[in-house]
Amino acid sequence: MGMKPAPKITRRELLAASAAVSLTACRRAPLPIAPARVSIVRAPAYDQRIYDTVRRILDEHNLEVRGRSVVIKPNLVEFEPESFINTNPLLVHATAEAFRARGAASVVIAEGPGHRRNTLDLADAAGYFKIVPKFEDHFIDLNLDDVTQVHLPRQFSSLGKLYLPNTALRADLLVSMPKMKTHHWVGATLSMKNLFGLVPGGVYGWPKNVLHWAGIAECIADLHAAFPRQFALVDGIVGMEGNGPIQGTAKYAGVLVAGSDPVAVDATCCRIMRIDPYRVPYLQLAIEGADARISEHNVRQSGEAISAVATPFQLIPEFRSFRLENG
Amino acid sequence: MTLDILAGKQNPDGGWPYVRGVSWTEPTVYSVLAMLAAGEKQRAARGLRWLRSVARHDGGFSPQSGVAESTWVTALAALLPPEELGRDAHRGAIRWLLRTTGHESTRLYLLRQWLLGVPRPADQKFAGWPWTDGAAAWVGPTSIAILALTAESRRMPSSEISQRVAEGRQFLLTRACHSGGWNHGATDALGYAADAYPETTGMALAALRGVDAPAVRRGVGLAKRFLADARSADALNWLTLGLMAQAEMPADFTLPDGVECRTLPETSLALLIGEARKGRDFLWV
Repeated sequence: MGMKPAPKITRRELLAASAAVSLTACRRAPLPIAPARVSIVRAPAYDQRIYDTVRRILDEHNLEVRGRSVVIKPNLVEFEPESFINTNPLLVHATAEAFRARGAASVVIAEGPGHRRNTLDLADAAGYFKIVPKFEDHFIDLNLDDVTQVHLPRQFSSLGKLYLPNTALRADLLVSMPKMKTHHWVGATLSMKNLFGLVPGGVYGWPKNVLHWAGIAECIADLHAAFPRQFALVDGIVGMEGNGPIQGTAKYAGVLVAGSDPVAVDATCCRIMRIDPYRVPYLQLAIEGADARISEHNVRQSGEAISAVATPFQLIPEFRSFRLENG
Repeated sequence: MTLDILAGKQNPDGGWPYVRGVSWTEPTVYSVLAMLAAGEKQRAARGLRWLRSVARHDGGFSPQSGVAESTWVTALAALLPPEELGRDAHRGAIRWLLRTTGHESTRLYLLRQWLLGVPRPADQKFAGWPWTDGAAAWVGPTSIAILALTAESRRMPSSEISQRVAEGRQFLLTRACHSGGWNHGATDALGYAADAYPETTGMALAALRGVDAPAVRRGVGLAKRFLADARSADALNWLTLGLMAQAEMPADFTLPDGVECRTLPETSLALLIGEARKGRDFLWV
């Protein structure tokens, strides 16, 4: 199988592992760190109520986007008309409308799928053309966008620099809208892993295999650090469990999870899925030793309590050790 | 009419975008081929000039002028006739293809794996082509490289080219999905069988023209089933090319209603396929 190279222990992995051990020992004495606000909102179905729900979420976070450019990045992966592989188009449309209502100067939907080249056909099959009026006028295929070479600010991976699409680089706010799914290489795919779709296939191909060779977790952390102005809104109404992100099975969770700190949002999603966020390698890298950043006590949570909506997502054997204790 | 659309999308710099915006190598190669087929020499010449401007010192081509790396699009450039692209640029592209493999086939990687005692997996025994330098080989770039090198070998037979083509074809045969056809090149992920895609199945079948093997026969069967259901122009283009290469294209096939060419490579390939069905081949000349 050529997609993922043979495992190797890099210096960074060794450091991350040592950091994880030290952090585990230090968990009872968290570093002082500003709390992140994360909303957990019940959303029972993909129906018209979503429009109001999303508007309330953005109000709660008081996002100032008047006159700004907003880029919404859903997760489009595979041709399928159902709703459990790709981010649901109704939710994406509701989000676009909510940002427009808040005065955003421009709102575009943008994605660069990792496996399939015909992005517009993929979006069509996922229902985007049906749900989003004049979809093609509001959509940018990030795989084929103009690009700029960027020096990655954190250098978690061996990439050093990366060509990235100008649409995403120039956005005043990048809104990551993943599906809540398990992932067969990193445990869970959420708002941070969703940023793989920013890497242009037109330069790196399909799949974006350079990211696999440079370390998946490290590249996720690098991409997260390269885009400081983000908002995350996770589609957890129907997610995916088991052998995600493509071959798993539908999992109903009935929630939307949102916030301006994608690390805190993803950690909260993990807890909802009954996955230990401290075991997810890219979260471990992104917090850079600031354990408190994803501590449950440090997340200023609104809406539902995690315990009220938590539902164990089935994990493949390789990730059973990620299961949150008492999960 | 479609040719007019294509002509209208040519950028002032002579290249073509995928949909809109800056010029890229892939849409420019297919558009130039379509313009040459239609006798639009001037438009083709401007496109060819743009293509020569993205040729790099290492012989490869970059995917667009803002990217300082040679990538798989070098194989696309090598699909163009040398007398049109320019003989030096074409020779450089062929040399780049001959020395490029997936990272898993490089000597350094093989030595490292040998020192670590890691056995070579069966699906890594044959060298294919990567999308970018330093990454693994995949079905898409391998198929296009085989098509370009096969054309070159008809012009100028060479054992080096024949050997790489043969190995590339073996790569494709080992990467066929268990249930038939090809996806991007991963037959399994963590022990779970992966499914084939229509477009990559068509590409692999085109590159495996003249090869008789069970994987090809299974691929042809699947391609015909895909053809009946596909609604994507990209998928239909490559399925048609793949089945034509295998002399298995159903004679009574007509395009289903509502299929739109949404990118310029799709538009150009549809035009070229139309010409090929009239007997004017562009891949196997």
